[in-house]
Parts: sequence; structure tokens; C-alpha cells
Amino acid sequence: MAKAPKLNSQPQIVTANDLRSGDTVYLTVTGGWTRRIAEAAVVANVEAGAALLAEAEAQAKQNIVVAPYLIPVDASVTPPKPIQYREVLRAEGPSTETRPAA
Amino acid sequence: MYQYDEIDQTMVEERVAQFRDQVARRLTGEISEDEFKPLRLQNGLYLQLHAYMLRIAIPYGTLSSRQLRGLAQIGCTYDRGWGHFTTRQNLQYNWIKLEDAPAALADLAKVQMHAIQTSGNCIRNTTTDQFAGAAHDEIEDPRVWCEIIRQWSTFHPEFSFLPRKFKIAVTGSPNDRAAVRVHDIGLRMHKNDAGEIGFEVIVGGGLGRTPFIGKTIRDFLPKQDLLSYLEAILRVYNQFGRRDNLFKARIKILVHEIGIETMREKVEAEFAASKHGALKLPQEAIDQIAVQFAPPAFETLSGISAEYANAFRTDFEFGLWARRNTFKHKQPGYSIVTISLKKEGAPPGDASAEQMNAVADIADRYSFGEIRVTHEQNLVLPHVKHSDLPAVFKALKAWDLATPNVGLASDIIACPGLDYCALANARSIPIAQQIALRFKNWERAHDIGELKIKISGCINACGHHHVGHIGILGVDKAGEEFYQITLGGSADDQAALGDLIGPSLNTHDAVDAIDTLVETYLRLRKSSDERFLDTYRRIGIAPFKEAVYVSA
Repeated sequence: MAKAPKLNSQPQIVTANDLRSGDTVYLTVTGGWTRRIAEAAVVANVEAGAALLAEAEAQAKQNIVVAPYLIPVDASVTPPKPIQYREVLRAEGPSTETRPAA
Repeated sequence: MYQYDEIDQTMVEERVAQFRDQVARRLTGEISEDEFKPLRLQNGLYLQLHAYMLRIAIPYGTLSSRQLRGLAQIGCTYDRGWGHFTTRQNLQYNWIKLEDAPAALADLAKVQMHAIQTSGNCIRNTTTDQFAGAAHDEIEDPRVWCEIIRQWSTFHPEFSFLPRKFKIAVTGSPNDRAAVRVHDIGLRMHKNDAGEIGFEVIVGGGLGRTPFIGKTIRDFLPKQDLLSYLEAILRVYNQFGRRDNLFKARIKILVHEIGIETMREKVEAEFAASKHGALKLPQEAIDQIAVQFAPPAFETLSGISAEYANAFRTDFEFGLWARRNTFKHKQPGYSIVTISLKKEGAPPGDASAEQMNAVADIADRYSFGEIRVTHEQNLVLPHVKHSDLPAVFKALKAWDLATPNVGLASDIIACPGLDYCALANARSIPIAQQIALRFKNWERAHDIGELKIKISGCINACGHHHVGHIGILGVDKAGEEFYQITLGGSADDQAALGDLIGPSLNTHDAVDAIDTLVETYLRLRKSSDERFLDTYRRIGIAPFKEAVYVSA
């Protein structure tokens, strides 16, 4: 797995996988989880990121999501775009039409 | 084919019930993710990038038509209607929900299948020659021994927490199609000077971060001693294998660090103490299993089938396919058919549920209801009459399953890569698709001949890139996907690890480089009979390197 870049004061969001379905999810401003990255809560510094992650980890303990972590995003675009390609793929799904033709 | 007895069926059903309870307790929060993760992995359930992934064991790559239909049904009911055949002769579903996993496993148990030993630090599903029980060059059907290993290794209490995972492969033919020299243990059946059949035992092979070709620890092992000897190796590994460093925990590192001689001394000492013990196989026990792999009721055939000869002469496409996708059977009048899951531009190894059902129907009609899965991510109909080949071709073609490219440049092995896998650094499927499309022209592809391209999206090497004639490894270079290219690897009886040709390339340049490498081969080969690998072995890396990097 590619090493996550060190986060500093840059736009960031929290992602995880939904416990039941395994779906990629993002933490929202109201403390809920969404499958749409457009609805993710974006914070812009280390302290706010840590607070967001702490909230997500508390929800992981309540068995809503699995393994939450922070990812950097480009917040100048809508929806925010992850910096790492791995996270772009998680947000958008596999890059290739994978269902066989028949 | 082997049929479960009551013990097998009970074991698998009890395991499903146990996992159902574990999942229920996880969903209510009674157990934490840390507690649950090893339990789900022991049932083949991984959490990947987009969803849970269920890896289903296909023991030694053998399936009945009923089992293949069962897999198709699971794909439709619990997944998105298709599955991915892997280099471990397994099947992966990429979109399973945790809450559905117990029901999927229960359906699997109904067709005598499971997901046990597809993950974790145990003895994994044993793999073998996909042509087992059918190939003309076979000494003996290796599946008998795979099944004996399965029964011995399943839930083996002493080997459930090894330093790391452990993979065994068996070949019953001198022409190794099971890559036995790159497994933790490879078993090669052969005859000794007295004419007895036994095993050459190879140990410490493997790919991944630190690839090694396995070393012979014993030239000839009598059959009845197989389990005693395997147990001796596992015991030495379990005791001395490194548990301090995940990256040094495989048996290949132990063999490398202590040397094959010391390894042999330790194993032989352990073997000497146990060889007359409970694991010495009585002939009756071997026979009881062997009878389940008895050949099907072949017809006695002679001469050339008129249907076959006629189709070969009149149907160009059929001739192309028959030349490339069939293999010589041991029974006169029969052929082994490889079903390519590598249509150029499609993801290697994927099959839709409809295709699986179609293959099951074709197998019922033309191949005694048997199907095999190859480690090169294709399927096989092991026993097809020559006279039925034109009909089989037609039936496969209707489902896009008759691409005449087995062993050619577009018959690429590729792992799921970054499109699915949580471990990957780069994507494998799109680059495989792009490369395969470059070799879509049948004339060029057949002129190039045998060329094994293998692609992994990370150093763990699920795509076997180290042993590709051309190997491609995806790396992450400052956030961009780059690909390292190796040349001259091989997984057969002349097993070799590939040599790195130079700095990694971006996707576009890497695809171009494959073309350049092939053009270089075509220019420098002695004749059209000299394969890419042979040319490489004759002239070395320099001309290839120069072609890729100097001309760039």
C-alpha cells in the first residue's frame, strides 16, 4: 500500500469502510457517514483533522465503520478531489469497466 | 472427481455456522474489529478498497459443472454477477457485503466448497497442473496427492499459526505447468532408477518481495512417506522460521539464511523420528482416494475424426483456435481445451455468471461435467472428443470465450491491482488491457508465438511478474503509477527470475516498451521457432535494454 502523505495544514477529510457493506464512506459535518465525497466534511488544519478523526474513531468503536483515516484533498474543486490516486479510485470506483462482455 | 464424505460435509457446515455466529456478534458489537479480523480472514473474507472480497478455494483447480453453477449463483445473488479467477486457481468475488457473507458460504457448502485456508498463516489451498488426469505427458494424476494433502492440512492444529502463509504445488508431469519451483514446497512426481514413482521435493521457492527459485531438498521421496516428510518440513519451519519480521517470515528466507544443507539435516532428522509413525500412508488409504480420481468412461476411438478434419480445413477461425487452445490428451481421440478468459481488452481472469453457466453446460455436454481453473487465469475442459471440438468452439464463441490466444502475448496474468486491492501501488488491469490490445492482430500474435507477460500491482507479486518472460511490476513514484519491466523469467521446469531492464516507466511508455521489446525479439530471433524466452537467453539483456532506453 502506498504510504499516506504526512498531513499538515491542508484540506483533509476522513474516510473509512462501512462495517456492514464494506462500502467506501466519508464523515459528514453532522457526524454521519456518506458514500458521496461531495458531502464529506472538509477541515483545513492538523488540529481540526485530529478532532474529525477522533470523532470517526469513536464511531468505529460503535461498530458503524471500520478503520477510519484522514486523507488530503484538493478542496478548490467541487467535489473535493483526493490527492492520492488510490483515494480517487476509492471515491469513484474501479477505473475500468470490469464486467465481462457476455 | 472427489466427493465429500460425511466428515468433510459436517466440517464445512459447522464452519459456516460458526462464522454466521461470529458475524452476528461483530454486527452487534459484541466483538471488535481487531478480534473479528483474523476470524473473517480465516473464512476468506478480506476488506479491500471498495468492499469486502470473498476468496473461494477451488482445491487443486478442479470443479464440477454443478460447482461452477453454484459459483455463478453466488455471484448473482451476493455480488455483481461476475467473478475473478486468480493465480492461485481460486475465485474472488469483489463486492460481497459482510452481512451476506455467511449466506454465501452456506450456499457454497451446498456444492461441497468453502473459503477455508484462502488466507492466514496456514497451509493454503494446494495447487496443481490444470491438465491433471488428462495430459499425455503425465506420470500420474497429481490430484490424488493434492487431496491427501488437503485432508492432512485442513485445520491442522500444529500448523494453524505458522510464521507466515504456506503454499504447496504438485506436478505429475515432467513439463511443469504448476510453477512448483516458486512455491514454499514444490512436489514433482518422477520415476527413480528402479522404476518406482515418487516425489522430488523442492523447498524455499517463492515470489513476493524477495523472490527465490526453490531448492531440491530430496531427490526421491517414496509416496507413502509424503505426509511424514511434509510434516517434518513444516515442523522445522514452524520452529525456526522468523516471527520477528513479517518480511522475513516465509520458509524461503529460512532456507536462504541457514542454507539448504542445514535445512536438509534438520528435516531428515525430524523425518527419521516420524517416518514410521501415524502419517505413513497405507496403500488402501491411497487407493480409496485414487479411485475418486479414476478417469471418466472414455470411448475407444481411433483415426482422425472426420468432423474435426473437415472443420480444420474449412473453418479458418476454428483452425486457429484448435492450434492454440487445445492440448494433447492421454486418451486417443480426445483433447484438452483451454478456455481463454483473456479476450483482448477485457480484464484478465474475469468471467460473468452467464459465462460460468455456459461453461458448465458445455462441460456437461462435452467434457464429462468437469472444469479446471488454471493458475494463468483461464478455464479448462479436460476431456473433449476431437469430433466435438467444432461444436465446443462454436458454443464457446457464442459466449466470447473462444479467443485463440492461449500462451500468446495477450494471454496475460494480472492481479486485481489498485482498482480493487488494498495492498496495491498501481493498477494492473488497465495496463494489461492496453498491452493485450496491441497484440490483437492474430497474424502478428501467432507470429510472435509463446510469450508470457505477467503483471503485479505491488511487490507481493500475485501476478507472478518475476517469472514472466516479460514481467511488469507497478510502483508508486511520487503519487504517479510507474512500471518496472523484467525480462527472462520463467515458471516452468527451467524456472528463472527475470532481470530488471532499467528505470521504471510511466503507463504510456511502459505499454510502448512492451511493443519495442517484442519488435526487438522479432528482429533478432534466429528463426520463427525460437521463442522470445529462447532469444533472450541466447542474446542477453543488452539489445533489449538499448532498444527501450536508447531509442526513447
